[in-house]
Amino acid sequence: MAEVELRAVTKSFGKVAVCKGVDLQVADGEFVTLLGPSGCGKTTTLNLIAGLEDASAGDILIGGRRVNDLTPFERDVAMVFQNYALYPHMTVAENIGFTLRLRGIAREAVRQRVAAVAESLELGPVLHRVPAQLSGGQQQRVALGRAIIREPQVFLFDEPFSNLDAGLRIKMRAEVKELHQRLGVTSIFVTHDQEEALSLSDRIAVMREGRVEQFGTPAEVYTRPVSKYVARFIGSPPLEFLSGRVESEGGLPVFRVGAAAFPLSLKTAERLVQGGQNCALGARPEHVLLGSSGIRATVRLAQPVGPATFVTLSWEGGELTARVPGMATFAAGSAVHFQVDREEHLMFFDDHQGRRMAME
Amino acid sequence: MGTLEQRRRRAGYAALAPALLVLVLILAYPIVDSMLLSLQDLRAAGGTFEGRFIGFSNYGALLADRTFRAALWATAYFTAIEVVAVVLLALGVALLLVHPFGRFGIFRIVLLLPWAIAPVANAVLWKWILHANYGILNTLLTELGLIERNVIWLGTPGLALHTVLAVDIWKSVPFIAILLLAGLSKVPPVLYRAARLDGANAWQQFLHITLPQLRPTIAVAVILQTLWSLRIFDLIFVMTKGGPADGTVLLNFLAYRTTFNFLDLGYGAAIANVIFAVSLVLALGYIWLLRPGLQKAGG
Amino acid sequence: MFRRRIGRLAGRSVVVVGLAMFVLITVAPLAWLAISSLMEQQALTAKPPDFSSSSFTLANYTGVFAAAAQLGQGFANSFLVASFTTAIAIAVGAPAAYALARLSIPGANAILVMILGTQMLPGIVIAIPLFIVMSHLGLVDTRLALVIVYLSFNLPIVIWILRGFFLAIPPGIERAAAVDGATTAQIFRLIVLPISLSPLFATGVFAFIESWNEFFFALILTRQSARTAPLMISQFAGQYQTVFGQMMAAAALAIAPVVALAILFRNMIMKGFAEGMVKG
Repeated sequence: MAEVELRAVTKSFGKVAVCKGVDLQVADGEFVTLLGPSGCGKTTTLNLIAGLEDASAGDILIGGRRVNDLTPFERDVAMVFQNYALYPHMTVAENIGFTLRLRGIAREAVRQRVAAVAESLELGPVLHRVPAQLSGGQQQRVALGRAIIREPQVFLFDEPFSNLDAGLRIKMRAEVKELHQRLGVTSIFVTHDQEEALSLSDRIAVMREGRVEQFGTPAEVYTRPVSKYVARFIGSPPLEFLSGRVESEGGLPVFRVGAAAFPLSLKTAERLVQGGQNCALGARPEHVLLGSSGIRATVRLAQPVGPATFVTLSWEGGELTARVPGMATFAAGSAVHFQVDREEHLMFFDDHQGRRMAME
Repeated sequence: MGTLEQRRRRAGYAALAPALLVLVLILAYPIVDSMLLSLQDLRAAGGTFEGRFIGFSNYGALLADRTFRAALWATAYFTAIEVVAVVLLALGVALLLVHPFGRFGIFRIVLLLPWAIAPVANAVLWKWILHANYGILNTLLTELGLIERNVIWLGTPGLALHTVLAVDIWKSVPFIAILLLAGLSKVPPVLYRAARLDGANAWQQFLHITLPQLRPTIAVAVILQTLWSLRIFDLIFVMTKGGPADGTVLLNFLAYRTTFNFLDLGYGAAIANVIFAVSLVLALGYIWLLRPGLQKAGG
Repeated sequence: MFRRRIGRLAGRSVVVVGLAMFVLITVAPLAWLAISSLMEQQALTAKPPDFSSSSFTLANYTGVFAAAAQLGQGFANSFLVASFTTAIAIAVGAPAAYALARLSIPGANAILVMILGTQMLPGIVIAIPLFIVMSHLGLVDTRLALVIVYLSFNLPIVIWILRGFFLAIPPGIERAAAVDGATTAQIFRLIVLPISLSPLFATGVFAFIESWNEFFFALILTRQSARTAPLMISQFAGQYQTVFGQMMAAAALAIAPVVALAILFRNMIMKGFAEGMVKG
C-alpha cells in the first residue's frame, strides 16, 4: 500500500497535449476518482500512473519513490480495464493466476492462491470456464481477481463499468466499494459518471482539459464547486446558471434575475460587488423550495422520476428547477412561489471566468 | 531496462529486423541490380555472364524493336479488356452472391475454386478443352450446331490472344468477386432500408447506394487486376508459347524469352524494367487509395 | 401491386439464372478435368466422346506416374518448398506484423508502404538478377533457392494480412498482460499468438497455396532435381501432348491438395485476405 503523487505531469502525443500539468496527491489507502468528460485526460493520467504510457514531463511517485522510468509491473500496480480485457483463451483460474505464473511461482502455490481469491469473489464454481462463458458480472469479478491476487500497492480502474447495464453497474459499484473497505488498498478510479464518482470516492479529482479543476471530497465538489464547470458536471440534472446583478430593493440587497429578486445578506452582497457586478447564480434543485411565499413563478414543466419530481419554474427573465419529493403533479402554467432555503445554497460564479465567488 | 513504451519499441525493432533483412536481401538487391543489368550488354555464354556497360542503348533499342512494340500494344490491349471484363463480371457475381439466394456456402466454395487451382494446371486444362481436334468445346459447339468446322482456338493469329484472354478472365473473376464481396458486406444495411422507405427500386439502390459505397473497393480491384494482367505468364507459356506468329507475346513473356531463351540478359532486364515502371505507377495508385487505412494504423 | 409482384418475380429469375450460369461456367471446366482424368484415351478421342461406363478407369492416375517417374519427386519438392516457405514466412512475418501493428515503430507507415509495394513487383524484374546470383552461388536447381525466392512474395503478404488481424485484437488485453508482468516477447508468445491461431493458420494456408502453385520462378531456377509439381505438369503436358487422360490426371493431382485446403479454410481466406487487401 502506498500514497501516489503526481507533480506537474504532462503528456503530449505529437503536438496534442493531453495532460497539461496534472498535480494530485492520493493518500495511502484512499479511494480517489478521476472524473471528467471524454477527452479531459483522465484515462491518459491513469495510464501514466500505471506506466502504460510515458509522461512527457513531471514526476510520478508511488510510495515516495519516483517511478517514471519503471514498467507497470515494477511500479507494483494492478489495473482493471474497460471491457475487462480478460485473456479470452485462458480459463478463469489461468486468468487470475497468469501474473503468478509469469513470476515462476510453483504450480501448486498458484493454485492455492487462485482458489482463495476466487473464493472471496464467489468465482469458485466457474474457475475452469473461459471468459466467453461468463456473465458480465462474473467477468468483472475475474478482472478484480486478477488485480487482487497481485496484492499490489495501488489499484487502478479504467472505467470498468462503462459497458454494463444500469442495474449491474450499481451492483458492481457496491462490490468495488466493499472490496476497498476490506483490503484498504490505495485505489484510483477513472469514470465519466458523476454518480459513480460520488458514491465510490473518498475524494474526487474533477478534470478539465488536461488539468485537475477541483480535488475534494464528494461533499465538497457537490456543495462547494470551485467553478461553473464543476458545478454543472456534478449533480443531476445538470445545473443551470442565471445571469443577474446585485441591486438594492427597499434598502435591502437582492440578487436580481429578471423579475425575480433573491434576498442576500449584506456580507454576501458586499463580496459579490467587490468581485464585479455581473455574476451567475446556480442553485441545486433540492434547495429550491416551493411554498406559499417567496418569488413568484409559473410551472413550465414537471418531470416525475420516481423518488422525486423535477419542476421547471419560469418567470420573466429566468428559469430554475426545483426538486419536490415523490410523484407530484403540477399543471403546466399554474402559479407557484419558491425560495432557496438557505443563502449558502445560492452558488455564485463569475459570469466570464466561471470561478466561484463569495465563498467563505 | 526502461519504461514499457521504450521496451516495446526496442522489442519492435528486434521483431521487425529479420523480416526487413530478408526482404532487403531478396528484393532490394535484385531491383537495383536489374537497373544495372539493363544498362549492360550482358549475354550468358557457357555458364558465365560477361557484360559491359552500354548506357541506355538497350532502352534505345526497345524503341526500334518491332517485336517489343507489338508486345507493348498487345499487353495494353489485353490488360485493358481484361480489367474491364473482370471487374464488370466480378461485380455481377458479387451482387448475385449478396442476394439472399446466393448466400449459401456452396457458392463461396465455387468462387474459390478457379483462384485456388494452379495456373499451370488451369492452362493445361484449357489447352485440352480448346484442343482443335478432340477438345470438348469444339465438340459441344458442333453438337449444338453453332460451328461447322473445328475452330483452331490457339493456332489462329488474333483469335489465340482472345482465347487466352477469355481463359484468364475465367481464372481472375472469382478473386476480384471475393474482393468486391468484402466491400459489399461493409455497406451498412440500414442504407438500403432507408432507400426502400424512400421508394428506391433495386436499380436505384444499386446506383445511389451500392456503387458509391463500393467505389474505393472497385478502384482497388481495378489496380490489382491491372497489375496481375500485366504479369500474365503461365497461361501463355503453357498454351501458346507466344505463338502463333508471336500473336500472344506479351511483355512479361517477351522479357522471359529474351532473357532465358535468347540469353540476352541486359535487353531482357530492360524490358522487365518497363513492366516494373508501369507497375510502380499503378502500385503508387493502390497505396494512395489505401492511404486512410495506413494513417489510421500509424496513430 | 400486380406490377410490383411481376417485377419481383423477374428480379428473382434473373438472380437464379445468373447464379446458375455462374456455377455452370465455373464448375464445368473443372468437372471436365475430373471426368476426363478418369476416361480412357479412345473414349476421349471418339467423336463424340464415349461416356459409357466401360470408358471409365483409374489407369490414367497409375499411368501418369509410370510415364513420368519423377512426378512423385515433383510433388515432394512442391510440398517441401511450400511447407518451408510457409513456415519461415509465418515465423519471420508474424513478429514483424505484430511490431508494425502494435509496437509503435517510428516510420511504420513507410515500412508498410514498402512492404505493400513489393506485392506489386513483377516477378521478372527480380528473376533475372536472382538467377545470376543463384548461378554464382551454385543454388540453381535447389529447393533452397525456391524457398528463398518464394519468401519474396509470401513474406510481405503474410506480414500484411497478419498485421490486419493483430490490429483487431483489443489492446486492453496486451496492456493487462503488461501490468501482470509479461515482457513484450511473453505478451506475443502467451497472449497474441494463442488467440490468433486461426488467422495464423489461414495465412499459412494462403502462403502454402501460393507457393504450391508457383510456376515462373520454378521454371527459371530449376533444371532437374528441384522441379516442382507445376513445372512437371507443364513439361508432361508438352511431352505427351496427346495423352489427354493422363494429362488431366496429372493436373488433378496438382490441384487436389490446394483445392482441399481452400475449401476447408474458405471463410478465413475470404475474410482475412480479401478484406486485408481493401482495408489497408
